[in-house]
Amino acid sequence: MAATAESLERKDKLEGIGCARKRKEDPRFIQGQGLYVDDINLPGMVYGALVRSPHAHARIKSINKEKALALPGVLAVLTADDLKPLSLHWMPTLGSDVQAVLADEKVAFQLQEVAMVIAEERYIAADGVDLVEVEYEELPAIVDPHKSMDADAPIIREDLVGKDEVGHGKRLHDNHIFTWEAGDKDSTDAVFDKAEVTIKEEILNPRVHPCPLETCGCVGSFDKVKGQLTVYMTSQNPHLVRTVLAMLSGIPESKIRVVTNDIGGGFGNKVPVYPGYVVAIVASIVLGRPVKWIESRIENISTTGFARDYHGSAELAADNDGRIKALRFNVLADHGAFNSHVSATKWPAGLFSICTGSYDIATAYVKVDAVYTNKAPGGVAYRCSLRVTEAVYLIERMIDILAQKLDIDKAEIRKRNFIQADQFPYNTSLGWTVDSGNYEPALDKVLKAVDYAGLRKEQAEKRAKGELMGIGISTFTEIVGAGPTKACDILGIGLFDSCEIRVNPTGSAIARMGTQTQGQGHETTYAQIIATELGIPSEEIQVEEGDTDKAPYGAGTWGSRSTPVGGAAVAKAARKIRDKARKIAAHLLEVSEDDLEWDIDQFRVKGVPDQAKTMKEIAMAAYSNIPDGMENGLEAVDYYDPPNFTFPFGAYVCVVDIDPKTGEAKIRRFYALDDCGTRINDMIIEGQVHGGLTEALAVAMGQLIDFDEDGNLLGNSLMDYYLPTTVETPHWETDYTVTPSPHHPLGAKGVAESPHVGGIPCFSNAVIDALSHLGVTHVDMPHTAHRIWKKLHELGAN
Amino acid sequence: MKVKLDKRYPVAASANSAWQFLQDVKSVAACMPGAEITEQSDETHFKGMVKVKVGPVTSTFNGDIEVQGVDAEKKELILLGKGADTKGTSSASMLLTASIQDTADGQCELIGDAEVTVNGKMASFGGRMLDSISDQILQQFADNFANNVIAMGEGAAAEVAAAKVADAPKELNGLAMIWHLITGFFNKLFSRESSQP
Repeated sequence: MAATAESLERKDKLEGIGCARKRKEDPRFIQGQGLYVDDINLPGMVYGALVRSPHAHARIKSINKEKALALPGVLAVLTADDLKPLSLHWMPTLGSDVQAVLADEKVAFQLQEVAMVIAEERYIAADGVDLVEVEYEELPAIVDPHKSMDADAPIIREDLVGKDEVGHGKRLHDNHIFTWEAGDKDSTDAVFDKAEVTIKEEILNPRVHPCPLETCGCVGSFDKVKGQLTVYMTSQNPHLVRTVLAMLSGIPESKIRVVTNDIGGGFGNKVPVYPGYVVAIVASIVLGRPVKWIESRIENISTTGFARDYHGSAELAADNDGRIKALRFNVLADHGAFNSHVSATKWPAGLFSICTGSYDIATAYVKVDAVYTNKAPGGVAYRCSLRVTEAVYLIERMIDILAQKLDIDKAEIRKRNFIQADQFPYNTSLGWTVDSGNYEPALDKVLKAVDYAGLRKEQAEKRAKGELMGIGISTFTEIVGAGPTKACDILGIGLFDSCEIRVNPTGSAIARMGTQTQGQGHETTYAQIIATELGIPSEEIQVEEGDTDKAPYGAGTWGSRSTPVGGAAVAKAARKIRDKARKIAAHLLEVSEDDLEWDIDQFRVKGVPDQAKTMKEIAMAAYSNIPDGMENGLEAVDYYDPPNFTFPFGAYVCVVDIDPKTGEAKIRRFYALDDCGTRINDMIIEGQVHGGLTEALAVAMGQLIDFDEDGNLLGNSLMDYYLPTTVETPHWETDYTVTPSPHHPLGAKGVAESPHVGGIPCFSNAVIDALSHLGVTHVDMPHTAHRIWKKLHELGAN
Repeated sequence: MKVKLDKRYPVAASANSAWQFLQDVKSVAACMPGAEITEQSDETHFKGMVKVKVGPVTSTFNGDIEVQGVDAEKKELILLGKGADTKGTSSASMLLTASIQDTADGQCELIGDAEVTVNGKMASFGGRMLDSISDQILQQFADNFANNVIAMGEGAAAEVAAAKVADAPKELNGLAMIWHLITGFFNKLFSRESSQP
């Protein structure tokens, strides 16, 4: 029919939800026209560089600035003593602790910030750093968190001695931070006591670093005349940073402007406020000149937010058919020298209690004890929601171990334990309400696509010949979109998010957001939501983020919250505009609002399709011809407080071949099916899945932040720290199902973190599956050739 | 990052002359390539420095040396050296027990038992090479030591040794050391290949 073809064409022209529209950001990136923080150059700008401690634990006996100050071009050398009068030598952390901005009398991790040299030029600042003489008295360092609470352990945080609490309940030792529990311990213990089968495994999520391509940095610029502070910086959450800066500095928040232009990757690393930012800002206030501070790669890897370091002791109780009856996970969390763990206030162990996964487990108990060590502070969520990778890794590993113990197929045991489609919304035994899911069809689709039965047959044949082949499965459920303000806040600010849309008289629109893209493609996808909701072509919609003077307040982009929270705010703001547009259309067409229906980009009179007003016409009317009693203009703002988290899921299969002689694991095939609910842009989703899987490969197969017994970081440059390139990255096969979220305005759930969270256990499961016939139940990551070779050597298998 | 070394180096001279030399801390320190004693605080405490050159970059380590024990009976000297580079990015310490033992041929051996600890940038970057590098440094030290002891004597051998002492490099050359490591690695590789049946 002509009408259908015509309306399809109109719809296509909008490039709305479901269109694999090309990224609007890319032309400027491809042409080198991005604007990153190091591209900012202001008149009179000077440079800061940090003096850092070579020791993991030492007392500072003296700091001599004289030689540095004598170097021509050096303007100032700031130490903790200089920040003391301003009370800025310590700052609050997101983990309810405090952190030294510049080391106050002692250093507690290697490369801790000790002083900042400010100079006219970057190279002079670096030379100045070499001339600052710091005298240290070395102290014994704690590197192994299992030794933190030993009776004779050296006290890492002397500033906390006598405090029996650091924000999260009672401390048991001077190096203890908190104990956090969820679930019912007694009934869990009771189920374990009489279970037919129990399994236990020590599983480590080792310390890794998100290592974004762009390191952290800022330009602090204080205008003494106006009393205004502008900070250009790399932040995933500029509004929260503005609030923190107001709290720290005493400058009214209205006089602070935080600007984040383009960001070269965040992955959780750019959520916290780091000492370098604070000192650069103080230096700008003191000197009255803009101060730029940009981290080196080594500084980034060594000192800014690491991830994981969760030492798990995991147990499952089951019946002989492999049905899980109870789960008991105990974790020792290494938080480093300061608890800068990024989390919502009430969740000191993040969302770790999502660890029951996709499975119907009636009884569960988890306990996390966090301790201090002489390592860099952090605990950021590296491409995942807070502590979700750790949780999913444990359950996805444990279900494989249970399958091995009972000799049940690893796909079959998952099916026996899945939460069934008719159980949603499903209340987990650890307190979450999983919004929607349909796990078994997703897994079946993947098993069919990879010919799972055929792979198992091939594996059996290869084993008979002494060859090593592994099949890894991961059927994960994520928890993203933090979060309902009744459950989640940071520094007392609820984790809602916001969108403000203004439609111009000529029908184009601008949207401003509280979120902050770091490469996710927000300019592209948010515009698509508005296009579908308002009938304005995506191309005519401008999306802006990252200038706190312009955008409404929001908690930023991390924990896959942009689509679940920000995207919902976009839809709700657009719908407020559409409601007003309906009133204007009724006025223009002289009919009642109820007689109108929405049709792609216009309101038309029901039954009289040629009687219609397009959004463009309505927009102009909003500024000229409105009904009595209505205000001019066509704009709306929405602050969206999600009623629940969203729970994306997926089913992944990885096939790996291991060379017994070298231990090298070659990824033969990786098939990833993701269900993120409603899909806004297939191309961007696929790109996110590729990126997440590549970072999962990185973590599972190579990344490790390792220390020697004195707390020396072993390998903090890209010479040692593994970042896979196209050479190491296998071909990714992607697929999807669609199970919308019932509580999200668009049914969307968020996807960027699923491939990372679900991918890591899938690689591990594949590698360990290749060794399972040799009696191996678990090997810790990373699965480098050397480590696999050592394991094979131990087993006498090579 | 710690390395323990236990080495023996032959010295073509008598045990007595080697022991005589060993007690002179200033001269012994000078056997360390690039090292010198800059100040003597008291009988057993010295200040010194070591220059390390890697490519175009020269680093200077300043440190303290403490003579912890001299045992004439055993011909044994215990030294603790501690230092940090002037840029404040690395530090190192070495507890050295050096002794002289007679060998059957009227000559002697220098026995070095050292525990080397390295912190900071040097540990992060060079940690995995520390074993081999310490080995290299000690070898150079032992060569210089032997030459110095031999040069104390008379005759052609002493003259050759004295010339070698004069020619010894005045700074610790990091790149040359890495080159030694690489050649050493290949030598080991090929000698193992050829020794296989």
